Amino acid sequence: MIKDFFLTLVRNRKSLAGLCILAFFVFVAAFAPLLAPHPAKADRVVTTKLVKAETGDPETVAEGEASDVREVETYRVTTVREYEKTTDYFPLKAKPGKGHPLGTNHAGQDLFSQLVWGTRVSVSVGLATGLFVTLLSLTLALVAGYAGGILDDIISFFTNVFLVIPGLPLIIVIAAYVAMKGVLPIVLILGLTGWPYPTRLLRAQVLTLKSRDFVRVSRSLGERPSFVIFREILPNMISIVMAEFFASSMAAIMGEASLEFIGLGNVTVVSWGTILYWAQANGALLSGAWWWFLPPGLCIALLGTAFVLVNFGIDEISNPRLRKR
Amino acid sequence: MGSVPTLELRDLRAGYSTKKGFVRAVDGVSFRLERGEFLGIAGESGCGKSTLAYAVMRLLRDNARIESGQVLFNGTDVAAMPEAGVNALRWTGMAMVFQSAMSALNPVLSVGEQLTDAVLAHRNATKAEAEAMAVEMLGLVDINADRLRGYPHQLSGGMKQRVMIAMALILKPDLLIMDEPTTALDVVVQRSIIEKIDELRRALGFSVVFITHDLSLLVEISDSLAIMYAGKICEYGRSRALFDEPLHPYTEGLMGSFPTLTGPVVRMGGIEGRAPDLLSPPPGCRFAPRCARAFEGCGREDPALRDIGGGRLCACRLREPGREGGRR
Amino acid sequence: MKYFLRKLGMLAFTLFVSISINFFIPRLMPGDPARALLDKMEGLPPEQIESVRAAFGLDTGDSLLVQYGKYLGNTLRGDLGVSFSRFPMPVTQVLRIAIPWTIGLLALCMVISFALGTAIGIAAAWKRETRLASFSVGLFSFIRSFPYFWLGLIFIYFFAFRLRLFPIGGAYAVTETRGSAAWWLSVLRHGTLPALTICVSSIGGWMLMMRNNMINVLAEDYITVALAKGLPLRRVKALYAAKNAILPSVTGFAMSLGFVVGGGLLTEMVFSYPGVGYMLYQAVNAKDYPLMQAIFLFIAAAVLVANFIADIAVMILDPRVRDGAA
Ligand SMILES: Nc1ncnc2c1ncn2[C@@H]1O[C@H](COP(=O)(O)OP(=O)(O)OP(=O)(O)O)[C@@H](O)[C@H]1O
Ligand SMILES: [Mg+2]
Repeated sequence: MIKDFFLTLVRNRKSLAGLCILAFFVFVAAFAPLLAPHPAKADRVVTTKLVKAETGDPETVAEGEASDVREVETYRVTTVREYEKTTDYFPLKAKPGKGHPLGTNHAGQDLFSQLVWGTRVSVSVGLATGLFVTLLSLTLALVAGYAGGILDDIISFFTNVFLVIPGLPLIIVIAAYVAMKGVLPIVLILGLTGWPYPTRLLRAQVLTLKSRDFVRVSRSLGERPSFVIFREILPNMISIVMAEFFASSMAAIMGEASLEFIGLGNVTVVSWGTILYWAQANGALLSGAWWWFLPPGLCIALLGTAFVLVNFGIDEISNPRLRKR
Repeated sequence: MGSVPTLELRDLRAGYSTKKGFVRAVDGVSFRLERGEFLGIAGESGCGKSTLAYAVMRLLRDNARIESGQVLFNGTDVAAMPEAGVNALRWTGMAMVFQSAMSALNPVLSVGEQLTDAVLAHRNATKAEAEAMAVEMLGLVDINADRLRGYPHQLSGGMKQRVMIAMALILKPDLLIMDEPTTALDVVVQRSIIEKIDELRRALGFSVVFITHDLSLLVEISDSLAIMYAGKICEYGRSRALFDEPLHPYTEGLMGSFPTLTGPVVRMGGIEGRAPDLLSPPPGCRFAPRCARAFEGCGREDPALRDIGGGRLCACRLREPGREGGRR
Repeated sequence: MKYFLRKLGMLAFTLFVSISINFFIPRLMPGDPARALLDKMEGLPPEQIESVRAAFGLDTGDSLLVQYGKYLGNTLRGDLGVSFSRFPMPVTQVLRIAIPWTIGLLALCMVISFALGTAIGIAAAWKRETRLASFSVGLFSFIRSFPYFWLGLIFIYFFAFRLRLFPIGGAYAVTETRGSAAWWLSVLRHGTLPALTICVSSIGGWMLMMRNNMINVLAEDYITVALAKGLPLRRVKALYAAKNAILPSVTGFAMSLGFVVGGGLLTEMVFSYPGVGYMLYQAVNAKDYPLMQAIFLFIAAAVLVANFIADIAVMILDPRVRDGAA
């Protein structure tokens, strides 16, 4: 089923383009150590080189007593090895040039490497949060939609309530209280504030499917709920669930970048958002250092576009009216 | 009849361009509709009835288009008219009642606004005059005038359809096309609506093209009948005669008089098998694959719709002169 | 009427939930929950602690329930405590400085971009086969995936730093006398870039939403009927297509409001525009918790009220909702 879904996605031009961009970023994230010229926080290159390694002339230490038959001589051989350790500090706030394709930041760290390493954090936070939100909202939607009754009333009521409470200010306030130590709190905060919208959409879909004939028949035949849910309802929700996953991932990447940009993330972690934070904190803008703040934003935008494109494709597949003829 | 007919189609072809190719849903249809005549068009679902109706009104949109042929309305070719001319003709000359009464009314405009906006668009009338016309029309279809201020969702299905009819007749058009106006309604309401149409036709004198897949609805009311199969008219004649003695095997099937060899796939009217794919229709007679009386030539040669005499037309090789099945 | 009362009830309840969230956030944080807020106040003068404690119902002797009750009472009276960073100003007073700027910038831009986006969406759906329509759909989808704050940065870089057309930040020229014509002019000049940021990045969303709704509506039978009636195309487009398509758009507007407001707050931060967003940023940096929470409460209330207004708009536009059918 999932395979079929991806096959249709690949056949749609828009979603194919989106998937390609997405695959590119996942690739960069996975192979960051190979692709980045330097470690994320390196501000210097240390090279140690053997400059002199010579074996000195033997030096006579002692001459033994001479006798007619034997001559004893003792030598000492000294070996000299000379190393040269060069520490090349990267220039601070350098313009793009040889060695630093995107220049360096205020601490002399290579921005290109940071961008590559940052892909790791941003992509993984995005996808992890997307997955978290999707699972959470799917569970809520299935419970509410399938069980119905009072449980549904309660879940939908709270969904509607939390739907309208603005997320970002809430996230900011929570984030300000939590001492951010890593990316996990960000995933949690973004996840716990991102569930209402997808829950609402998914629940509507569950309700539609529940009223379809084939589900009604199975239910009246007394099939177990787990069978109906996992074999009959879920397989028919793949496209909408995936659409929600991509939309949530995009929202998470934006949300993460925003939080980090304001300085509410862990600013010592290297990600697209924190690169922008440091760029802003060091006045990159007003010194004209476009190479500092332009690339991370473009990456976010490109990744966002990828998600949007994939969802365009899904929309077109599931809503024939939108299809272009 | 020497006068100009209200509607005359000449070899009309229309359809939909799709990724897989052109779906020719109307394929070479010709007929004449005289002033005040009631023509029934019947055929299975998907045979191109709605497409035909839309083509006459020049309503084919998006991927749909008229390929060739003429649609002569009171003698002028609608198919070749500029858009503005068609727009002026719509509702004043020809009006249409649609297949889906439930969704044919705009949910956010009041019944009155929807009844009067055609009047205001086509006639130099004041709002009050238009409303008076609307009230009169609603009266004709037995709907209380106070519904004018109401909204479509407050009406029952039958009422909606009657409002649609009132709307279609408000400008006293020469031609009323009704595309399965009663399919969604129960039998009693169906009857009453058809009788209402007939009554109004006699009173106002317009011509009717009534599309349905249920022949029994048309027995008493229609003057003539056209039977459509896979985009083509396969039989045409005065309705009484056609009923008494169907000439085309498909018509027989539609009327249920066909000897039913009950198979797993029994379609409407007791005809086995399914209607052909209009994307690539079968060669020869399109009905041949489903026809119990088909013989070897049927799959090769497409029979033309020919005059059999007595005002009857039939496209079947059984009726060709010299065939054992030929009656005249 | 039933619909109206239901929506009013919903407004009251969501407000109540927001106020409660505000109360529980500091108490639910890891560590000693009830004292989280007090801990942050370490090192402040005692009278300051006292006032915050009173406003937040943090009297240590009280049970959580009593604290909650006191907090609710204070909030309803409009007493949200005293700002840490601008002691001894009450946070409501601090907030009052920022609100006009936010209303002027954010609210105005959102109305403009919703109207504009909707209009473009209608046009793009009506003429969907044209090149221009597909091009604008592509363009807006791309722009929409820019982070708000980053778009702001780009604008500052190009228009303020490079071209020097607009000021880099702030909301007005400090050199002018407040209220003079020159001052108002400077307000306009300062507002242009932030406004552009908000509009450019939010128009796309509204546009795409309206376009989709419109395309769905255009396939409806009543559109064909309208065309069959030979109505002027203008009327078909406005009263048959757009009037129906805008209903889900208005609902969508309500639901996306929080998101757009979030973007607006970030924009203020980037431009140091002295509205509540920038104030929130300052409060976060200064660890001014009472101010932060008051700002959250204000934004939540504003968004909820806007939502309520959208619900009422739907009620006015849709007779089915008016009758309580939907
Ligand atoms: N938009 C479209 N694109 C492609 N093919 C279409 C489209 N609309 C209709 N068709 C095809 O054209 C053929 C005729 O359709 P049409 O709606 O005219 O049938 P109909 O006789 O009115 O059927 P029904 O009784 O179900 O209303 C059908 O085979 C249908 O599959
Ligand atoms: Mg039809």
